Amino acid sequence: MPAGLDNLRHIVVLMMENRSFDHMLGSLTAVNPAIDGIAAGLSNPDTTGALVQPQPLAAFQGQLDPDPDHHFPAVDLQIFGGDTSPGRVANMQGFVKSYFNQQEDVGHSQKIMYYFAQNQLPVLTTLALEFAVFNRWFASIPGPTICNRAFAHYGTSFGQVAMNVFYEKEPYKSIYERMVAAGHTAKIYYYDTTSSTMEVVNLLQNEPQLFATYQQFLADCASGSLPDYSFVEPNYNDHDGDDGEEVANDQHPDHNIQAGEAFIASIYNAIKNSPLWPNTALLVVYDEHGGIYDHVAPPACIPDQFPAAASDTGTGMPFLFDRLGVRVPAILISPWVPKGTVVSGRTFEHASIPATVTKQFLGSYAQRTAREIAADTFVDLISLDVMRQDCPDFD
Amino acid sequence: MTTIHIPRIDPQSAMDRNRPVNALLKSQILHLHEAERRLPVRHHTDIYINAIKTEGEAGEYIRAVTEAIHDAHAEAAARRAKRAAKKPEVIDIAAVADDEPVGKPKSDGKGKKKS
Repeated sequence: MPAGLDNLRHIVVLMMENRSFDHMLGSLTAVNPAIDGIAAGLSNPDTTGALVQPQPLAAFQGQLDPDPDHHFPAVDLQIFGGDTSPGRVANMQGFVKSYFNQQEDVGHSQKIMYYFAQNQLPVLTTLALEFAVFNRWFASIPGPTICNRAFAHYGTSFGQVAMNVFYEKEPYKSIYERMVAAGHTAKIYYYDTTSSTMEVVNLLQNEPQLFATYQQFLADCASGSLPDYSFVEPNYNDHDGDDGEEVANDQHPDHNIQAGEAFIASIYNAIKNSPLWPNTALLVVYDEHGGIYDHVAPPACIPDQFPAAASDTGTGMPFLFDRLGVRVPAILISPWVPKGTVVSGRTFEHASIPATVTKQFLGSYAQRTAREIAADTFVDLISLDVMRQDCPDFD
Repeated sequence: MTTIHIPRIDPQSAMDRNRPVNALLKSQILHLHEAERRLPVRHHTDIYINAIKTEGEAGEYIRAVTEAIHDAHAEAAARRAKRAAKKPEVIDIAAVADDEPVGKPKSDGKGKKKS
């Protein structure tokens, strides 16, 4: 076993909101061609038939308003370009059409193709270039937040493709409950009580002791008392906090992207400046693409055992959870990850999170969904025998 | 070692408490409302969720219900602890009651009626 993996005691997952891989990291192809981002020849047709190319014109705020539709029927259009025939093939040609449907403004609909230049996102792009960036990490469902985050917590959404209330079904337990039952420690850190969590009806309502705040996360890092597994949620809304104005930092359109950059840096700094840095792996990942353009067609996958009926998908077709959602940014950070790692030729999704935590801390654990059992795990990327001393600092 | 400067934002320009709630916050409010309905009545808020339109208003409701859930569980834990603290006396009394009376022969159970 590599020394890095031998030293691994803590896994931290930070899940941000609603941005696609190409939108956030697509610019890095120009820096490292192994990163599968924006390349020549990519386009989407607008409603006039004109081809719209990706351009590095994304703005930090005020551009993607209204919030691009990313509910199941809209994502179906984005992925399949409007083809509803039985033998259809995913072509990623419906993003501009989908955004047009919201305002019927051709010029505005083209903004869904915009991406950030590397220098606009110094934190995220530095982490991607310095550690391990995943070329194929997909949302678990071609749909919105709640059901995608469920895959990170449970390895399934129990048949949900939308934002509705859902309940756990036996025998599948959340990764936190599994960890605690086995004598391990696990926590969900929400930003504060005014932002709270998206995991309300199963975990907050029944297991509030699993939750703590971002301030507690910082304190736990500083004191070297992080749980074995931590899941961090950003601030989902603008509000007044105890210490002044709290700007939403989840990067959900139309929240400020730079606030999210600062938040990601603060999580990284808290770990890096703690005694736990040699023993901790941080995964920064986005829950779904938020309706924003990406060029990689989501692959088919092993069906989940909880299908969604045609009446629930909004497309008139049932969904067997046999295709992943749109690709999202994902970066694994540890001083034991080789600099400049690009993870290619493997497919990851949010069920990879409980799969990895289970494998690392619990070993064999049978009562998991087929999707989670099939999901690839990522701690093998912590492969160095000598800890890096060249990891970047953020100030 | 590289040092990267973290972007500094102006909260005044980025912040908008009056921004209309997005679909995610609407969903979060509905999930919290589902949880609120299960709380003891004394922990209910008096906020009408259909009237929540802005992020600022959403935050007030989210905070109220999140704190109420924690408070309700804390109250329940305190009651549980109080009961547990009383329990040893009950065990002592029960233990005395279960002791065999000195000199009384053990029953073989015969002749007892089943209830």
